[in-house]
Amino acid sequence: MEATLPSTLADFPTLSAAPAPLLQLQRTLASDTLKLKRTAALRLTLLSGAFPVLITFLIFFFKGDIIMKAGGSAWPRFINASWQTAGTLLLPLFVVLLTSLVVNIETKATAWKHLYAQPVGRGAVFLSKLLLILALNAVALLLFVGLLLGAGMLLSVLKPKLGFALSTIPFDTVVWMLLRTYVATLGLLAVQYVVSLFWRSFVVPVGVGMGAVVATIALLSWEHVDKIPYAAPLGTAMAMKMGKGTLTVAHELAKHEWYSLGWFAGVLVLGYLVLLRRNVTN
Amino acid sequence: MKSTTPLLLETRSLHFRFGQRPILHDVNLQVEPGSLYGFLGPNGAGKSTTMRLLLGLLRPASGSVHLFGHDLARHRVALLDRVGALIENPSLYDHLSGRENVEATRRLRGVAASRTAEVLELVGLTDNAHRPAKEYSLGMRQRLGLAIALLSDPDLLLLDEPTNGLDPNGIIEMRELLQRLCKQHGKTIVVSSHLISEIEKMATHVGVIQQGRLVFQGSLPDLRRLQTGRARLVVETQDAESCRNLLPRLLAGATVAAPGTLWLPWLSQEHTAALAVELVAAEQPLYGLRLEQPTLEDTFLHLTETRVAAV
Repeated sequence: MEATLPSTLADFPTLSAAPAPLLQLQRTLASDTLKLKRTAALRLTLLSGAFPVLITFLIFFFKGDIIMKAGGSAWPRFINASWQTAGTLLLPLFVVLLTSLVVNIETKATAWKHLYAQPVGRGAVFLSKLLLILALNAVALLLFVGLLLGAGMLLSVLKPKLGFALSTIPFDTVVWMLLRTYVATLGLLAVQYVVSLFWRSFVVPVGVGMGAVVATIALLSWEHVDKIPYAAPLGTAMAMKMGKGTLTVAHELAKHEWYSLGWFAGVLVLGYLVLLRRNVTN
Repeated sequence: MKSTTPLLLETRSLHFRFGQRPILHDVNLQVEPGSLYGFLGPNGAGKSTTMRLLLGLLRPASGSVHLFGHDLARHRVALLDRVGALIENPSLYDHLSGRENVEATRRLRGVAASRTAEVLELVGLTDNAHRPAKEYSLGMRQRLGLAIALLSDPDLLLLDEPTNGLDPNGIIEMRELLQRLCKQHGKTIVVSSHLISEIEKMATHVGVIQQGRLVFQGSLPDLRRLQTGRARLVVETQDAESCRNLLPRLLAGATVAAPGTLWLPWLSQEHTAALAVELVAAEQPLYGLRLEQPTLEDTFLHLTETRVAAV
């Protein structure tokens, strides 16, 4: 057999180099973006931000006068209420669903075997979907903030008595909250992403995620709750302080947000190493 | 196998197991450039596992896969650039149209945009390309999967049961397409199947796998030669048992298939002629004397029932 090797190599000398890693990533991203078309993941991203805003909007629309009787200014109260509605339960569940749905696009099509048989490395596949989920997560948060501000402005027109016109929008706080909330979602996003890739199913990651979110709520009084990635968005939502007509938040990452970043980095590295050499059986 | 021909695809002593369960044992595939290699075996024999190993989807317990003379484990991405594959059922995104399905892989491989329309045309799906893949029939899905495999104009095509779910017309079309790709475009194609009848109509070479072992590998003529060795002489007479007793030397290997029928391995024309003379001389009525060639299907069944090492 060894004797045939030189002639074999002579007949197939031109093994063109593999595409550069960045080019592989770019191609995988272009493909993954196309696959998002008409998916539940995309609809969820575009609509999920509206839900907490709508709830808070309705509360302020119908019961705003009662809320405002307690004192304070309209914008800070409205933003605080919306963010806490979103951060408690909806945001973690959104991240759980989003990661599961994006990964499920391949699982549902039994496309892992196809994907890994293409001339792109496993790293590109891993990174591309991660970047996509990170982008969708950012889009959803931005849409949430946009809708939040829009709903407040709508309320100032529909219910001038609530006093939205009297207070200013605390932009500074909103921007910092946006940033810190995003960081707070990263830890659980990474855990959910790796769980989804590992089990290549939809039910398992959603079950794990929902279970973890519910368990976290039960553990809120535990002194180590800040280390649980599923609790981080709630921690950030509670970080705002309402002063006299103001809404402020610290312009730095809190401890639980650093933990979230730690989970993000640690889980992704570990997950990648586990998944890199894994057999593809479906 | 002629060992002087450079091999386009080769597995060297390939072993694979799922956990503790051995699946493949010492598989040495040898596929020459430009051949249409039929990879045959009953369901569960290890065809799909082998195909997955050829694509680097599974990692062998030991042994190696070589494509175009290079080790797959070391140059996976570069080698896969020259390979198109369709493994089991095609991986289709139901929420996308046929065209978008092709487009998703086209972007992934960085192939020229014009190829999308070309491959859709090649498999005859141009008119249905705008429809969502979930509306496609089984045959259309298979053809779309093939279109996607052909996108990069690969030198090597690995197709796992590509005629699954096709109607007779579809099977003929698929066969003609594969033969055209092989003969006119010089592609090397490995097609797995559990039906010998399908493979014998198009393949130039055949490998037969049974219980994770390669029990035959060679050209189609080689396989045919294997079956001539298994030809059977059938003797129709009055009393088979007494014939055998009367001519113990000539009917040494004979078995009594029925009271008036004897089966014996075909040895030579001279042996057949001598048998006829002796039977008549022994005053036994000779109603019939014929040669039965086993079909390729019989040979295939024989190969896959008993674990004979033919190579």
